[in-house]
Amino acid sequence: MALRELAWRVTARELESSLEEEKGGGDRPVTYVLSPFGARMNRVLLAGEITPAEPVGREDPPMFWRSRLTDPTGAIAVTAGGFQPRAMAQLRAIDVPRPSLVVGKVHLYHGRDGIAHLSVRAESVRSVGENEERGVLADIVRQTLDRLDLLERIEHDPAATDDQLRGDGVPSPWLRASRAALRRYPTVDRTAFRRELAAAVRRVAGDSGPRASPDPRPTTVRATARPAAPPAPTPPSPAQRADESLFLDLVDQAAEASVDGYADLKDVLQQIAERGVAAERAEATLNRLEEDGVLEEPIVGKLRRS
Amino acid sequence: MSDVPAPAPPPEVRLKDLATASGPVELVARIVAVQRREVTRRSDGSRRPLLSGILSDGSASVRFTWWDPPGEGIERGTVVRAVGAEVGSFRGRPEVTFSWRTRVGPAAAVELPTVAPEELPLRSVAELKPPAEGFRIEVRVARVAERTVSVGEERRIVHEGLLADASGLVAFTSWSDFGLKPGEALRILGGYVRGFRGRPQLVLDERATVTRIDGTAIPDPAGRLRGPPRPIAAIEDEGGGAAVAVEGVVVGLLPPSGVVYRCPTCRRTLSGGLCRVHGTVEGTPDLRARIVLDDGTGAATVAADRATTEQLWGVTLPEALRRLKELPDPSVLAEQLLESIVGRRLRVRGPASRDEFGLTIDPESVEPGEIDLAASATELAVRLGGPA
Repeated sequence: MALRELAWRVTARELESSLEEEKGGGDRPVTYVLSPFGARMNRVLLAGEITPAEPVGREDPPMFWRSRLTDPTGAIAVTAGGFQPRAMAQLRAIDVPRPSLVVGKVHLYHGRDGIAHLSVRAESVRSVGENEERGVLADIVRQTLDRLDLLERIEHDPAATDDQLRGDGVPSPWLRASRAALRRYPTVDRTAFRRELAAAVRRVAGDSGPRASPDPRPTTVRATARPAAPPAPTPPSPAQRADESLFLDLVDQAAEASVDGYADLKDVLQQIAERGVAAERAEATLNRLEEDGVLEEPIVGKLRRS
Repeated sequence: MSDVPAPAPPPEVRLKDLATASGPVELVARIVAVQRREVTRRSDGSRRPLLSGILSDGSASVRFTWWDPPGEGIERGTVVRAVGAEVGSFRGRPEVTFSWRTRVGPAAAVELPTVAPEELPLRSVAELKPPAEGFRIEVRVARVAERTVSVGEERRIVHEGLLADASGLVAFTSWSDFGLKPGEALRILGGYVRGFRGRPQLVLDERATVTRIDGTAIPDPAGRLRGPPRPIAAIEDEGGGAAVAVEGVVVGLLPPSGVVYRCPTCRRTLSGGLCRVHGTVEGTPDLRARIVLDDGTGAATVAADRATTEQLWGVTLPEALRRLKELPDPSVLAEQLLESIVGRRLRVRGPASRDEFGLTIDPESVEPGEIDLAASATELAVRLGGPA
């Protein structure tokens, strides 16, 4: 069933903590990012302060923009490209940091250093008044606490059936998400996360927000979220170099043959598989080439030289 | 010589007991739907007339087939006595056949079997799912209104509304005037449930009997109509509802939204100037919005009509048409509409149905959602364990 994906109410901190993915079923499988705190996200609704967007890539005019949304618990990258023209225009219209709501799709990218970078590809961005931002933040915190309570309940009463829990008013999508979260993050510290929500509650109560907060947040909270500056890469081995040059050759061939000048990622991966390169190795090679700025994927599934 | 008992006359049965009967039966029932047809004999090509339709005796309704019926005098409402009717079954439901062996004659309504209310199982409103029948319910009228409809050439008045008990609300439509008033408590026998726009609807016709009861145990339905919003996921699990309330944030707009053109005859939305039924027509402009409302548990489509759209957008249909003339790209109009409502908190009430695209609500009211920030902050701080 092509049902619409719900927009999970989550804090930036919860997104920063999300490392696991799950593919849905059906003809057009949807990818979900699983959070340790019981969200199974394809789409999210965020509230916070958005910074002016910066262009990404070397196109002129730029076709991809990135800004950061900061809420009292953390910060997350918000992007928009040519496929979201309205969101891109809205993002670009933000000239000074201002309270905003963002609806968008979560996107998890595993860098070669193994660190997961999560960003939100905006579908719509709206500047709002402070009260509206605080109102949505209140929903976010309330639903986050509801989900934490649900996780506790399932942990303490593993025999409770889905029907029982639904009968008590637990939304079906939350149930599925909670069970997945407990399976995939068996050891996560929810108490610490609960404490971090206090800043968000202060903001709901009317504190002027993170920028004027008297105690600056520890930088460690931001460290995993910042997509920039991966650790210095180790030089590639000769075998890796060989893979890279094969990959680039195939991309060039495919781009040459295609109408739009882009190489289709699936074609390239298939051809490289035919030459005996295992899928993980091909994937790793692609990641390296993208990291090093040799290749880019401006459209999902379409590659070209940067 | 031993006594040889005379063959027993076929037993007179009530339709609700048909399933357990074997052999020919005698029954008294009212014809509540009837259609005259002819079938062609395969052997000689001759035509053989038959009547088919639905019989009801107050205990249940069954399909019937009547071979070689009288030429006239049989119509909806006729009560008949049939001796030697054959009982068959089709798709697990009993049906009766009147053949040349069956003697069928007119009967009076008083001859219909008596059905004590206790004999029909008492159902709660939440349990009513199509094609339920042969039950009794005890409910209060939550809402009732008259509407005139055309059935073929004929104009008929139907009474529509909502009935409620402690378990929920159900829409009803009545072809007879039972003089229903909001708030009245009723015992209803002989109604049946059909699916209408994806929701159960209780149908009351001449088969139904409606009795006023004291009904102190049945809560006042007004509260149900004004009830607090519920999670979209829960309403989705229930398959919709006759009167739901949800509160969420607008996260998107589905096409077609904005100015649409409708067929002047059937009001269907035109596509490329064409009506699906009436072909090329001169469309009349209208305003609508298919709003995606999301509450964090699920998403629902709110199908806003012109008045609701104008109220939310602050732009009237004439103004929208004027803008359309000036805009280089008409799709900008839908963008402007979305821009003005996305992110807004709305509380929506109305009937909701679910199909393969999810939950759709036809709003009866759309109001801005209110949130008390100070109270929320206190509540959340307490839940976090002490004041923040």
